[in-house]
Amino acid sequence: MAKLDEFPTGERRIVQVGQRTIGVFRVGDRFYAMNNYCPHMGGPLCEGRTKPWLSSAAPGEFVLDEQEALVACPWHGWEYDLATGQSFLGPGEPPARAYEVTVERGTPERIAGGRNGRRPGPYVAETFPVHVEDSYVVVDTSSRPVAAGAAGGER
Amino acid sequence: MHCAPAALGDLSQYLEPYWRTYVHDGGVHLNPTQGGAYPPVVLTGATPASVEDLRTELLDPAGLRTAILNCTASFHCNRNPYYEAALTSAINDWLVGEWLPRDDRLRASMVVPTLDADAAVAEIERVGGHPGIVQVLLPVRTDVPWGNKRNHRLLAAAAEHGLVVGLHAWGRVGNAATPTGFTHSYLEDYLSNSQMIVQAQVTSLVTEGVFTRVPGLRVALLECGFSWLPTLLWRFDKDWKGVWREVPWLDGRPSEVVRRHIRLTTAPAHLPRDPAQVRQALDLLDLGALLMYASDHPHVHGDGGDRLLAALTEAERERVTGRNAEEWYGLA
Repeated sequence: MAKLDEFPTGERRIVQVGQRTIGVFRVGDRFYAMNNYCPHMGGPLCEGRTKPWLSSAAPGEFVLDEQEALVACPWHGWEYDLATGQSFLGPGEPPARAYEVTVERGTPERIAGGRNGRRPGPYVAETFPVHVEDSYVVVDTSSRPVAAGAAGGER
Repeated sequence: MHCAPAALGDLSQYLEPYWRTYVHDGGVHLNPTQGGAYPPVVLTGATPASVEDLRTELLDPAGLRTAILNCTASFHCNRNPYYEAALTSAINDWLVGEWLPRDDRLRASMVVPTLDADAAVAEIERVGGHPGIVQVLLPVRTDVPWGNKRNHRLLAAAAEHGLVVGLHAWGRVGNAATPTGFTHSYLEDYLSNSQMIVQAQVTSLVTEGVFTRVPGLRVALLECGFSWLPTLLWRFDKDWKGVWREVPWLDGRPSEVVRRHIRLTTAPAHLPRDPAQVRQALDLLDLGALLMYASDHPHVHGDGGDRLLAALTEAERERVTGRNAEEWYGLA
């Protein structure tokens, strides 16, 4: 979606992929990608501020991590882990969809993944695994397993 | 249940000579009916002023195993912090001297000055270790919410002594009767005391992180209703999700914090008439696990309490009328 040297650390790009938009974030040398759609109410998640983790042992104490790790939806402030899409608002809250990002050598054509002259079409339906559990049909909307961001040093 | 000295004279022997003259010279009165909190001809009997009264009126006829005395007579004390400290000490000595030794079913809530946290801590250290004292009784109407940082040492001192902190309806008439300010009508005052102010106190205690600072703190909400709790917590959880960074010490859903640290009493019970709807109201928050039976004797709040007990399952009734309070107050 972009050349590495045109994507400085601390920046983000929001790109159109078919009918949906995906936010790609660079934090240090790591890249993260997330569906620009907040599972809470459908807000433009990737337009929100990125934030470090924050912890506190007692009232009045604030310990802020150095590294950005979360993105907060600009509508209601719900925060999601950039690497996994996991929200930390308690059990039962749906995760945002995270995408894997890799750095590859080569031309834009190769990255687009054309094969035998055919190119992937613009329409991709989002699918989720379905299984039967205790006589219930369960649709799994948890994020797909993803590495904790891909290293981006190679050119 | 309530008890109160019939008049300030009952406390004379527990007041230093200076405060006896202060009471006399200043025309200071003590109103056993919570500063006129109840209408003058309301159908509540006189507040029991002796163990004998209490035995005949309630302990024996109701067959109670254990009863906790709550004396709110100091709630409407004037704003002299030194007098308030003397008055609350006198009430505590009166409870320890004239009530607790006379019936082994009795336990008591101690009272503390509300204008001076240092004096309150000192009073908890003075009498909080008495085996019959199980609670520190605080008025739900205050200058600042109880969760405010300036009150943390008072709450911590209670927890260190293994005492529950009880927030009870009413307080000074000089404190606003609602969370947003003063009113002119008794109607607003009465309505607010039974369910509105307490919501501001719960919000304060949870938000200000006092349960993080004092993990052993247990709070009981007394005579403040309970059926308002599910809606408060639903919205509390929701809003916390978006703005948790402001209060990062609040490290779980507010509803979970409340479940760990707060219990509520059954009187008054603001409940519908339809038993099925009563059941639905209870199921909104598993209230069978959070409620503790209170007679609120001698105050009468109508038949809401009976409707509540009728809607409970056998197991819930056993918890609400006994085990919940035994566990919370360490009575077993």
